[in-house]
Amino acid sequence: MKLKDTILDPIFKSNPITVLVLGICSSLAVTVTLKGALVMALSVMAVCGISSLVLSMLRNTIPGRVRIIVQLVVVAMMVILVDQILKSFEATYPIDKQLSVYISLIITNCIVMGRIEAFALGNKPIPSMLDGIANGAGYGMILLIVAFFRELLGSGTLFGLQVMPAGYVTNNLVILPPFALILLGCIVWAQRSIQKDLQEK
Amino acid sequence: MNTNNNLYTVIYTTIIVVIVAAVLAFVSQSLKDRQEANEKADTISQMLTAAGFGTKAEFQAMGNAAVLETYGEQIAEAFTVDATGAKVADLDLAGKEVYSPSRLKAQNYNVKGGKSVTLPVFKFKNGITVVPVYGAGLWGPIWGYIAFEADGCTIRGAYFDHESETAGLGAKIKDDPDFQAEFIGEKAAFGESPVFEIVKGGAPKVDGKSVQDNKIDAITGATMTSQGLDAAINAWLGAYAAYFEAQAVSESSVETQTAEEE
Repeated sequence: MKLKDTILDPIFKSNPITVLVLGICSSLAVTVTLKGALVMALSVMAVCGISSLVLSMLRNTIPGRVRIIVQLVVVAMMVILVDQILKSFEATYPIDKQLSVYISLIITNCIVMGRIEAFALGNKPIPSMLDGIANGAGYGMILLIVAFFRELLGSGTLFGLQVMPAGYVTNNLVILPPFALILLGCIVWAQRSIQKDLQEK
Repeated sequence: MNTNNNLYTVIYTTIIVVIVAAVLAFVSQSLKDRQEANEKADTISQMLTAAGFGTKAEFQAMGNAAVLETYGEQIAEAFTVDATGAKVADLDLAGKEVYSPSRLKAQNYNVKGGKSVTLPVFKFKNGITVVPVYGAGLWGPIWGYIAFEADGCTIRGAYFDHESETAGLGAKIKDDPDFQAEFIGEKAAFGESPVFEIVKGGAPKVDGKSVQDNKIDAITGATMTSQGLDAAINAWLGAYAAYFEAQAVSESSVETQTAEEE
């Protein structure tokens, strides 16, 4: 696999959310505001990229029988580090509070462990790291698209700034998770009509 | 090298865990000060919100330094009291000492266990007194701040926060300004039991206006969180009852004195 494909495939052709259907839970939960979605996207990119790098460097030394546990320990460490760092800055502290458990729950995001199992344990460190970051970016891109519509229609704002004219009545359905699922369905639909090979016969 | 050897596996996992633990301990220690500063500014902005100096979003936009400054300008005195309402010690005003959720948690054991308590009281220059409450929600701790008018029983405002209540349901104690606004103007019945009630249907209404008593409407779909908040408020305000009653007595005696002089 070429390095370029490693980076570009997860963004569209094999996007972790729309094609692999991973990480759905958190993409419904954290997409009410663009700020939250952006912080979540960057956090997943960091966790995914660095865990893939570390585990790829260790891949020939990890005992096969405790493979998953070792992965879990490394990913958990990364998640706690991200959480601690977000808590330490004035700008990110309120966002960390708003995302609350979902930052800690990055560890249960199948994208992270999935990419480590499928890619990092069989490839060299640098391509593994790029694969992790690219998958995080693919996830983050969908998050931002969903959050864009939800914040615009649900709160009438973008990144907290009022964009809808005064008098716009905010739509409560958009704020609730079911709308995120509907929107996600539409995105999958759009992708499948562009990328015909994903359609089942 | 045989990586499936038992001894190798044990040594390998041990080393990994020790390294990870060391990294986490180091990071936690080195970021502790910053995190505490953030938590303190957050706690102060919650108290200021309860006391009606602004909304939480406004304080968030102001930044930590401005929040601390506002607090420094408005606070008159801060001290701790025991269960009999007697003053125990002053809090460090210059250092803007507050009770973070972890300190409230420690006191919560004493409040619920009927042991000796030291509870913080924050008095602002405009006569408003802010006290914290703490208890258990559905999934984790909930806490908040209730501000009283100078009369010591009318509620000026309230702000609540939680660790992990359900978004859209229990989380409304924090996110729904309408729920917090229900507290405004209600009166806590110190010395009675229950001191305050969060009940289905809320207060009986006369001519469509809610009677100003000690009852407010619970949150639909969040029964357990509402009950938890009710229990938290009752336990904590119960512990503060002696203090507020003593305040009311001393104030009314001042009033009768001035009346006699006239």
